[in-house]
Amino acid sequence: MADRGWDLLLIYGHTWRKDFFRYLVNVNLSGPHMAAAVTAAGEVRLLVSDPWDTEAASTSGQAATIYEPDFAEGLKRLTAGQERAVVAIAGMEPMQARFVHAVCSATGKSPVSATLAVEELRRVKDPDEIETLKRAAILSDRGYQRFAEVIEIGMAEYELAAEVEAFLKSNGAEDNFMLIGSGGVEVTGMKPPTGRRFKPGDSVITELTPQLDGYWAQICRTLVLGEPDAKQLESFAIFAEARQAAEDLIAPGVDIAEVARAQNDVFRRHGFGEYTGPKYTRVRGHNLGLHPDENPYILEDVHCELKEGMVVIAHPNTYLPLSGYMVFGDSLLVTAGGCTSLNTTERKLFQK
Amino acid sequence: MKRGLITWDREEIPLSAFESRLDHARKILAERELPALAIYSDVWRSNQARYFSNFMPYWNRALLVAGRDGSLTLLCALSPRVYPWIRSVTVIEDIRPGANLAQQLLGMCRDKGWGKIGVADLALLPWDLYAAIGEGDAGVGDVPWSALHPGPDETELSLYRHAAKMARGIVEGELPGGTGLRDFEFAARMERKLRRAGAEDLVILLSHGKTAPVPAAGATLGREFSVTLAMEYRGHWIKLSRTHAPPDVMASVASRFRAGVPGGAGADPDSRAYMENLSGAYPYEPCSAAELTEGCLFALQAETRTGGRRLFYGDTFLQCRQGAELL
Repeated sequence: MADRGWDLLLIYGHTWRKDFFRYLVNVNLSGPHMAAAVTAAGEVRLLVSDPWDTEAASTSGQAATIYEPDFAEGLKRLTAGQERAVVAIAGMEPMQARFVHAVCSATGKSPVSATLAVEELRRVKDPDEIETLKRAAILSDRGYQRFAEVIEIGMAEYELAAEVEAFLKSNGAEDNFMLIGSGGVEVTGMKPPTGRRFKPGDSVITELTPQLDGYWAQICRTLVLGEPDAKQLESFAIFAEARQAAEDLIAPGVDIAEVARAQNDVFRRHGFGEYTGPKYTRVRGHNLGLHPDENPYILEDVHCELKEGMVVIAHPNTYLPLSGYMVFGDSLLVTAGGCTSLNTTERKLFQK
Repeated sequence: MKRGLITWDREEIPLSAFESRLDHARKILAERELPALAIYSDVWRSNQARYFSNFMPYWNRALLVAGRDGSLTLLCALSPRVYPWIRSVTVIEDIRPGANLAQQLLGMCRDKGWGKIGVADLALLPWDLYAAIGEGDAGVGDVPWSALHPGPDETELSLYRHAAKMARGIVEGELPGGTGLRDFEFAARMERKLRRAGAEDLVILLSHGKTAPVPAAGATLGREFSVTLAMEYRGHWIKLSRTHAPPDVMASVASRFRAGVPGGAGADPDSRAYMENLSGAYPYEPCSAAELTEGCLFALQAETRTGGRRLFYGDTFLQCRQGAELL
């Protein structure tokens, strides 16, 4: 704060994006809005808009919590006495405009965004965060095991999702980000579960991302219902090679763009270079932590140096005309000598 | 998060319901001499775009743009690979991709020759969009949600009623089996049943009797406990609380709750009521009884303190001229 000339740092969260708030105060509040104010002297005060959150916030050990259902009014109280102060807000972009105006009217000065600065702080995990992510990854392994156990022909996608959700929740997950797809070459991506019922020969793709104590770990796997055909096997072999290429490269000091290129080059070598662009895929992976889809994204045009302690997923997920969209990837901890997978699920094309 | 069945059952919500809602919005635009209306949508704030189109994003953000000329366009940060799915569950045909929603909207204004457009609840826009749109060539005017959605129509009410009935049935059915389970095992049982019944999103909070309802944390449920459930079904959120306790205690909690309902028999000094608006941009937001206007959907959770324990009971209501109607 001192380096940047900030007098007060506000860390804002809402029900969808609690991640900035939880970086400072790791309590799972309901919302819809929450904020923490950090003074230059290190004093922290919290603002919540839900009466029940007041009690939950009190467990954080922070000094004072303001409850104010009118959140704009609460922000004025939180920034009272800060006339002409430089207020920096982490999470300013998703904040409602009226809230930014409230801060502005209380201080007489426009706040500045602290989002990128705090995002950078969040990127490298400390030992406690890594331990939590390891536990979340173990839970994702168990979740996938459950997925593979309960799936059966005739079951609807949303029924399978319900089984997996319940399993993860009954084992302590706060939440889970899960996408799914099933079928053949017509499957161009993953989405929320539909009413489609599984058929013999289906390729069933999923990414499971359980959240434990605020932190999300992810696993991506593909399962075939029945004996995989030659094209499914050929496709999977390419994905396996791409995933391995990424993991062989990941190490401190490596530009994340190179990790994307290493994966894409595998597809190019096999004649599927056109399927590495935005028409067929989104990203070749991303950072993990308090948000399931953290920056930086692993893309050839995103430059960011990997650092020890970062946790990323490198997934070459894309559409191929061989057998439709396929997914494959683990949560990876960047270590001094390279990277290590936090997952233990077998690295194979699953079948049932 | 929305990981349940996002679908469009045309028997539940006929196309004509969306057409009539959009017609009303276009009348409001005509009155204000605005050529188009932009409606923001994200994972948690999907009520407004859902009302007009059945669009409910499972991730990311979007702007729904309804033109007075009859056009309906979704500016969407999701990948075009999921657009066929979006088209299958919404009334939207025209979907345009792009990560920068403000730029897309401003480009659309230029292409269509729109000098000024309306934005639903302008001051509630996320700051980055608000600032970027404000810097563009097109003027923007606020169109309050209350003008666009004066009250729930019959289709909405029928879905709210269905959701409330479904949630009550499943919660009340599960309560007796809760004692002795860890709280997250109990929450998971409900989650499984509710998602298999078609719930899209769920927030389950539990109280062991000493605190307000909070997310499950692994403690074992005792003889008395309360559960608070917020559930989204076909885009319609309801909220309720139930207590598990010996029958006499449960009866007392329920009767105190009824007394606390606006228009109920009278206030109880041992009870506290928590009221939330379900008719706004968010699934639920704290509000006061004074803010409830006719046609407003709201949730009321009452806390009763008995013998040092805190017990919770609540439900979802429609504010009518005559008082609160249980959904």
